Amino acid sequence: MELTRIPKRKIDRAKIVVGIPRAFLTFRYQTLWQSFFDALKIKTVMSQPTNLETMTKGENKANSEMCLAMKIYLGHVASLEGACDYVLVPRIADFGIRRVMCTTFQALPDLVMNIFRHASFKVLSYNVDSRLKTDEKEAMIAMAESLGFSHSEAKKAYKTAHKASEDAYDQQVEENEKLYKQKGLKIVVAGHSYVTEDRYIGKPIFDYLKDNGIIPIRADLVDRKEALKAAHKASPTLKWELSREIVGSLAMHYKDIDGVILLTVYPCALDSMVNDMIMRKNKMAEIPLLQLTLDAQSGTAGLETRLESFIDIITMREEQEDHGEE
Amino acid sequence: MAKSEELKVAFPMIANYNDVVRYFVEVGMNQTYIRQPKMTRRTMKLGAKYAPDMVCTPFKTILGSMIEALEAGADTLIMVFGYCRLGYYGELAERILRDLGYEFNYINMADYTTGKYKDYLKALKKINPKAKKIGMMKAGLEALKMMQNIDAIEEYYYQNLGFCEDPVKYKSIYTRFMHDMHKAKNSEDINEGYNKALEAFQSIPVHKGELPLKVAVLGEYFTVMDEFSNFNLEQDLAMMGVEVHRWMNVTHRNLHYPGEKNLHPRIQEYCQYEMGPTSSANIWYAKECAEKGFDGIIHVKSAGCTPEIDIMPVLSRISSDFKIPILYLTYDAQDGDAGFQTRLEAFYDMIEMRKKVNI
Repeated sequence: MELTRIPKRKIDRAKIVVGIPRAFLTFRYQTLWQSFFDALKIKTVMSQPTNLETMTKGENKANSEMCLAMKIYLGHVASLEGACDYVLVPRIADFGIRRVMCTTFQALPDLVMNIFRHASFKVLSYNVDSRLKTDEKEAMIAMAESLGFSHSEAKKAYKTAHKASEDAYDQQVEENEKLYKQKGLKIVVAGHSYVTEDRYIGKPIFDYLKDNGIIPIRADLVDRKEALKAAHKASPTLKWELSREIVGSLAMHYKDIDGVILLTVYPCALDSMVNDMIMRKNKMAEIPLLQLTLDAQSGTAGLETRLESFIDIITMREEQEDHGEE
Repeated sequence: MAKSEELKVAFPMIANYNDVVRYFVEVGMNQTYIRQPKMTRRTMKLGAKYAPDMVCTPFKTILGSMIEALEAGADTLIMVFGYCRLGYYGELAERILRDLGYEFNYINMADYTTGKYKDYLKALKKINPKAKKIGMMKAGLEALKMMQNIDAIEEYYYQNLGFCEDPVKYKSIYTRFMHDMHKAKNSEDINEGYNKALEAFQSIPVHKGELPLKVAVLGEYFTVMDEFSNFNLEQDLAMMGVEVHRWMNVTHRNLHYPGEKNLHPRIQEYCQYEMGPTSSANIWYAKECAEKGFDGIIHVKSAGCTPEIDIMPVLSRISSDFKIPILYLTYDAQDGDAGFQTRLEAFYDMIEMRKKVNI
């Protein structure tokens, strides 16, 4: 199997099926990708939400030292086998100085190509890399062209998709911001969208918090421009785009919240350093903070105990403060 | 050139390169350089105690050696940056040290990554604002020369040590050379030390036979170069009677790097893109050595080094395509070296037997 560099020719579009693994950056770019392929009238298929089977498949494909999110991702890719002609695996390296992604997202297409070299699908990729001066727009247009679409068709599709994805995200952020204003105990869950949104590993935590009368809020849904600025103030050399959004989001909302859960997967390269920095800087803000690390082995019992005691701490603090005011 | 303000400058321990920094600070910047003691288990323990648990191991050793530098009397620390987590080492290490109550000047090169090279000059100005550009340039070039010499001597040493008549003398020449670099005050000293070492090496007969065992050592930038971090891997391997080849050093990776543009055409069947800061180089070198008929490859990395973990599937493919054995070694803060020794011996036995069978 090889990465697609198909010579320019018309392909029977009705027949192409592009698979999208429901993991990693899919949660960030879902609308963009979906509407891009829709506009080009390419059929897409998305893998089912993570379940035990995805996890097992992924663990079998992955190197044991890879992070849990990567194992899940590879499980999703594996489950697309036989269901599509291409699997979309973009390479997203960076968006400029101090706006880089985890190196895993640089390696992803080649990694998938090597691990799944005997599979029936091909890897469809686009390359976002500031050192090569290719931004998302150009890269996605080039990808469509490699599939046989004309430049203008591709450009139009990107325009539609970009607009749709911006609108969808703005709305998500707007709804998320409302949560900060609600009455009640509010806990911000700070984690990458592929952790917080994952049905199998992230969602149960949100459900548990809700069941216990807490309003859980996602840190990663935030006005990205503002968050990048706030993060630069909080930590000048922090260079990972995803971490900067989260750190910035926390800095912007500290005053509105009652607790923070740093939700991370084992062993996340970014979080291993950034969460330590957050905890060190948090000493001044003195907001109760819980670090939760998810790994492939963990059952839910241990997590629930820790969440339960964390909620107790926050509730007690709240009661004490109310007392003080009286 | 006047010392504007007396600083005692230190740099974290990185392989054998500290004297390169020392030379530049002393000769180019006219400031005092403080050299912390060589790294020991204490360095590692100190680092592991204060660093976050899941961070890659080099952060822990670097943090430990920064603490030891401050204990040795340094008041100014210089820190480098890189494309992976190394880019954030500087800021987090500073935060941790300040939280521990240390007071010091800090020059974090990551603060000056703006995309313009001239901004790095601003960082140097902080060490000595009165330092002349010309003097800095001259000392800089001489320091680079020293670095290349160190890399060349290391390369020569590990490729021949296993086959020379007097390994003890060989080792002492190597140590002597490092000592000479430690004492070097000008470019004559640098050249003389190098020539002396090379001559001394060549005076000792080497018997390699027709087909010596050849092993390529590659992997993560810091751990593969730093003998403390990899438990003297190359020394042990060479002493078993192996020609040890390592491409990864600062000369090759930073000074004369062929670039992805030149490396990628040679590894097209394995990867299309750059997979991480040292990935292309490692994949290329693994393939190159496999093609040249090396007997084995050892892949070295610290625990949790994401870019190196990500190329392991590619290396495994090279291993099966070229029928070359690869030993994967992962180093973390808790390890003793006994386990590594056993694995290394087993690996050696295996490649030696393969060689006999194949001949």
